[in-house]
Amino acid sequence: MKKPSIPLGLVFSQSGPYAMMGRQMQTSALMAVDEINESDDFDFTFAPHLRDPGGVVAAYHTACADLIREERVDHICGCYTSASRKQVIPIVERTERLLWHPARYEGFESSDNVIYVGAAPNHTVVPLVRHMLDEISSEVFCAGSNYVWTWETNRVLREIVSSAGGRVIAERLLELGDTAVDHIVSEIIDRRPPVVFNTLVGESSYVFVRALHEATTRAGLTIPMLSCSLCEPELKLIGSAASIGCITSSAYFESIDIPENRAFVARWRKRYGSHSSPSVDGQSTYVCIMLLARAIRRAGSVEVTAVRRAAANHRYDSPQGPIWVDPDNNHCFLTPRLARSVRGCQFEIFWEADAPERPDPYLSNLDLAAIGTGPQKSNDAMNKSKHLRIVK
Amino acid sequence: MTMTSPFSVRGRRALVVMRDERDISILRRQLGRLGMIVAECDPAELLPRDESHEIIIVDADAIPIRSDTAPAWKTSAPIIALIGTETPSRLKWLLDLQPASFLVKPLRSAGLYTALVVAFDSALRKKDAAAHVERLEDRIRSRRIVFAAVLQIMRGHALSETEAFVLIRQTAMRHRTTIEQLSAEIIAAGGMPNRTPRTA
Repeated sequence: MKKPSIPLGLVFSQSGPYAMMGRQMQTSALMAVDEINESDDFDFTFAPHLRDPGGVVAAYHTACADLIREERVDHICGCYTSASRKQVIPIVERTERLLWHPARYEGFESSDNVIYVGAAPNHTVVPLVRHMLDEISSEVFCAGSNYVWTWETNRVLREIVSSAGGRVIAERLLELGDTAVDHIVSEIIDRRPPVVFNTLVGESSYVFVRALHEATTRAGLTIPMLSCSLCEPELKLIGSAASIGCITSSAYFESIDIPENRAFVARWRKRYGSHSSPSVDGQSTYVCIMLLARAIRRAGSVEVTAVRRAAANHRYDSPQGPIWVDPDNNHCFLTPRLARSVRGCQFEIFWEADAPERPDPYLSNLDLAAIGTGPQKSNDAMNKSKHLRIVK
Repeated sequence: MTMTSPFSVRGRRALVVMRDERDISILRRQLGRLGMIVAECDPAELLPRDESHEIIIVDADAIPIRSDTAPAWKTSAPIIALIGTETPSRLKWLLDLQPASFLVKPLRSAGLYTALVVAFDSALRKKDAAAHVERLEDRIRSRRIVFAAVLQIMRGHALSETEAFVLIRQTAMRHRTTIEQLSAEIIAAGGMPNRTPRTA
């Protein structure tokens, strides 16, 4: 008997400034769709309808309006930037649809019509800054792209660092896509900060990491770099030598050593080639589709209220480990991890939370006093903090 | 400038600083319905030098946070901020602009008139409050003069401080002038000036 087919909207930019991410995310979504369609565990199939907004913010609204009107979709998976998500929210709210959003973002949002599957700021920037204070320094040089993710990430960093008695040595911003990084690199070499926090994105970041690696090597300096966004495919774009040693905070790395991830990576490689790597955003898109399929199965319906209710607190053992939607704010419980980039464009995980952490999109539970211990009290803090677990 | 009621918006000039075509067309239509005169400006450009606009409606998400553009936004016209991103880093920049009222995205036809009225009213109150503060500051500045005049009268008429102040206050009331003005005259004349009431 033929299974009923459910229309599913996929909105990812296949061209434009962040096309690499958009292509990864669409590829991952289609992999999940195929697995569901071929599986006996689901008594329905997904019929994906692809839309490519080409990285143009206003085109996201048009794409979603068209999917809802023409293809009658109830569920859309897509968007990468906050600007594009904010274009889509009014229309999914007005028409009572659900947007499944894979990418991590800066927080301070909580729509009833969005399921936020990517990491919230308490999953990314907070553990990274805690590690910096405990193990590296309380003085930091910030380089970032001039947009909302950097502003907000740096604000949180500044707040935690100031509370710990440290300081932001400088904050240098480049316009999105700008690759004129030389003045920032020279300033870093002149000032020799103990650590650099990199929130540059795309080509700006790759050029910066390469230029800084070259300059520090020439000057005989070792300056650790922190990131909340670098992923394996980007390490390849940076180049194997320059990409080593970056401390990155993320909910997903290809190297997570659990059966679900080993199987996921094997399936990925079989499909896209042995040199191909899934990224955090790709994996998260895959998880979005899986969470959606499981919620539809549990609800016995595609109707948005029923699906949202069925998704709440329903645990899925995903490649990144157990994950479930917190019905309080529609963000996900997930496991923060810290890793160091190593040879071969991979990450070596050196810390992970010992259980999935509750999402805190407004950072309303951020206890500055508990984090702001300063480097001198680091051992004490590591012992006291029960969710810090060294895995390597 | 004449005091206009915040409820009457017809004929007032609005400057729309936005990029999103959908938002701009909603504003154009709605401001037009209210009889307002609309000018437009791209967020990346500096505000027009011409200060004739009476209210500015700005897309808070479309303007990059840069310290060098902030002074250009110091304007006397009240600002209505259209807000999408609610992150503290963005809101902090918005606070620096001291918006008189705000609208939340998605922009709809409803809510704009309220935002305009609140902004015009808050601009009026701000102006009143500024004038009030200026008057108070004048009085603080002239306290030294009043105190010197009280001393002069205490010495010249052998009065206590309270009696000298009462005398100055009553004289000022009789002459329909302020205590500060009479005090300045007392100091200039070296005692209570001989003057006839201005009115019969």
